[in-house]
Amino acid sequence: MEVLKKFEEAAKDPRAILDRYLREGKDVVLVAPVYTPEEIVHSFGMVPMGAWGADTQLNGSKKYFPAFICSIVQSIVELGMNGAYDGVKALIVPSLCDSLKVLGENWKYAVPDIPFIPMTYPQNRKPEYALEYTKAGYRRVISDLEKISGKGFDENALKVSIEVYNEHNRLMRETAEELRRHPEITAEERSAIYKSATFLRKEEHSALLKELLQELQAATPGREKIRIVTTGILADSPSLLQILDENGLQIVADDIAAESRQYKTDCVLEGDALTSLARKFSARDNCSVLYDVKKSRVEAIVDLAKKTDAGGVLMILTKFCDPEEFDYPLIRKACEKAGLPIVEIEVDRQMENYEQASTIIESFREMMEL
Amino acid sequence: MSEEVKKQRPAPDPNSAKYKLNMIAKKAYEDVAEAKARGELVGWCSSNFPVEIPETLGLYVCYPENQAAAIAARGGGERLCSIAEGQGYSNDICAYARVSLAYAGGAEAPEQPMPLPDYVLCCNNICNCMIKWYENLARELNIPMIMIDIPFNPDYEVGDAEVAYIRSQFLDAIKQLEEITGKKWDWDRYEEVREISGRTSRAWLEATATARYTPSPFNGFDLLNHMAVMVTARGKKEAAEAMETLLKEYEENHEKGVSTYRGEEKYRIMFEGIACWPWLRVTAHGLRDRGINMVTTIYADAFGFIYKDFDDMCRAYAKVPNAINLEYARDKRTKLCKDNHVEGLLVHTNRSCKLWSGFMYEMSRQIGEECNIPVVSFDGDQADPRNFSEAQYDTRVQGLTEIMQSNKEAL
Repeated sequence: MEVLKKFEEAAKDPRAILDRYLREGKDVVLVAPVYTPEEIVHSFGMVPMGAWGADTQLNGSKKYFPAFICSIVQSIVELGMNGAYDGVKALIVPSLCDSLKVLGENWKYAVPDIPFIPMTYPQNRKPEYALEYTKAGYRRVISDLEKISGKGFDENALKVSIEVYNEHNRLMRETAEELRRHPEITAEERSAIYKSATFLRKEEHSALLKELLQELQAATPGREKIRIVTTGILADSPSLLQILDENGLQIVADDIAAESRQYKTDCVLEGDALTSLARKFSARDNCSVLYDVKKSRVEAIVDLAKKTDAGGVLMILTKFCDPEEFDYPLIRKACEKAGLPIVEIEVDRQMENYEQASTIIESFREMMEL
Repeated sequence: MSEEVKKQRPAPDPNSAKYKLNMIAKKAYEDVAEAKARGELVGWCSSNFPVEIPETLGLYVCYPENQAAAIAARGGGERLCSIAEGQGYSNDICAYARVSLAYAGGAEAPEQPMPLPDYVLCCNNICNCMIKWYENLARELNIPMIMIDIPFNPDYEVGDAEVAYIRSQFLDAIKQLEEITGKKWDWDRYEEVREISGRTSRAWLEATATARYTPSPFNGFDLLNHMAVMVTARGKKEAAEAMETLLKEYEENHEKGVSTYRGEEKYRIMFEGIACWPWLRVTAHGLRDRGINMVTTIYADAFGFIYKDFDDMCRAYAKVPNAINLEYARDKRTKLCKDNHVEGLLVHTNRSCKLWSGFMYEMSRQIGEECNIPVVSFDGDQADPRNFSEAQYDTRVQGLTEIMQSNKEAL
């Protein structure tokens, strides 16, 4: 499918996308993991562009981080230091985990030319009083964006942006459902759809999704593969995805922070736009960086696997990611109890040797074939 | 073979601060065990959870971080960490959490036993790792969790929105605990606790500030032991009295020209980070053998909880070391270094603590420049002995000593 190439091109070369936006006279603001109020950036007419780091060697950033901080945040600083983000107006970082907290603090000194905008969310996000705190965080972001853009905040523009994002969420969910019917779409191709979503303007990405959906709906599904569910923060390593493809595994659903977790929750517009957006954050659930005493995510993964008829769960564990590392033993236990095969592969953005991963995936496949 | 002659240690003076402080720490565990035995509900509490809440309600709580440190200092860290790893926990996870989750899962810890909890009290002003750890405790033990979220503050000052958010949660936590335990909140009792906590804090701040004298009247490693009382028992009258005794002793030491630091104090340093509990003796000797006294740490400042009312208390809990931005954290340390005539900074890059160590490189560079002192770091861990190299520590401390020596000679 031709459209798949467009996703792949965008996923592979975010710098080309950034340069295009800059040529078009657009202001670009980087948004770090995991949840950032992109709608607010969008409402200023700016382009929110995902910054989830990259598979790159760490040099300059080592001056700021000890080795045991996750490679996503380290590589974000590395990219900032080596000029990969030159031209952007700011970086917004939500402090939802300890590594993200230190990212902002180090960024101020490592990349002084690109302003750091903090977004502080409440972890106790369900009570009504938390809404006010979330809104205070948004107002802080707004105030910084006003300074950077020279424009004022516009409530109506935010409402329009919220609709753009809701539409994109809907299309991403629809695509996920449709992809489940198409084993011929490889793990690498699937990943490019999600990865490009973080770089491209949502209007552009939505247009591509519509094109893809039309083609998928018209296409005859390929031969069945072994169905799996992935979980973790990030799953964009080409080497790892190739191993999945070589082993005939199809990702039928995911609980990946950079993938489906982004698109699960819509913003219900009720009353003023900022409160509605705050309610969207309160409504988010089943994520390792969001407090949940019940840890419903654990059962949600088992349910997702059952619902999608998956033969097993692949945990792609980003090394030094505390939130995921604490959840893993509980997820493993729940999967084992449900009779679902589960394996864990530890990855980071400097990983070069995938032999061990390959062996694990092969035995995972064998477990599911039994 | 010569017969080993053991020195008879003198009986501890029951009027000394050390004795009183040790007794408070010991009694805290005993009180919780007794409460559990008579059928009362007991809790586990994270270290910077507002102690005023359990103290005012008259709850019996113990502190997993304190337990993990005690287990690690007595040699059990690796054993419990390994048990947690066997349960599927990565060895990259905080070693206090690993020790605690292993213990909660049924592992024996004769080094420092404590009763299993009926509820947990969590506050993430020291790290978000705490949320994950306590979620797992609550789920695995099937008990309620009271969570107070005090977010990392990227700004220098604590804003009104944050105070309002924290206040609402404090009141929520009180309500939840009343429901769980059946005990009632009493504002008069809260005022008493606030008074006592202020008294304890003032004595602690003054006692640790006696490090301004040269030589310092105390060995900074004392602070690592005494801080447990500051964290857990600040609101108790006995703690206030013990801290006032400590202050009196340090002032007397100064007047007499003596110190709890044995030997000549040749160099004065600030130690940054949680103690390397499994290697406490090694790390202490590495300093003492070179005439280095660790005269201050951020703990000296961190536990001075003095506040005038409820809102001010909320603000105080948002200013604890790991909840503040680099600039505020740096300025607090710079003041301690300057006030206490510090000549070098020794940084523990603690593998267990991503938040504490995560921007320490930049912050310690800035402190070094501002105070014109050398900065040296070593790799270690608060509870997992496998993450420390004695040879590296020795080399780094030697390097620090040589720079401090040449700085002295250049004067």
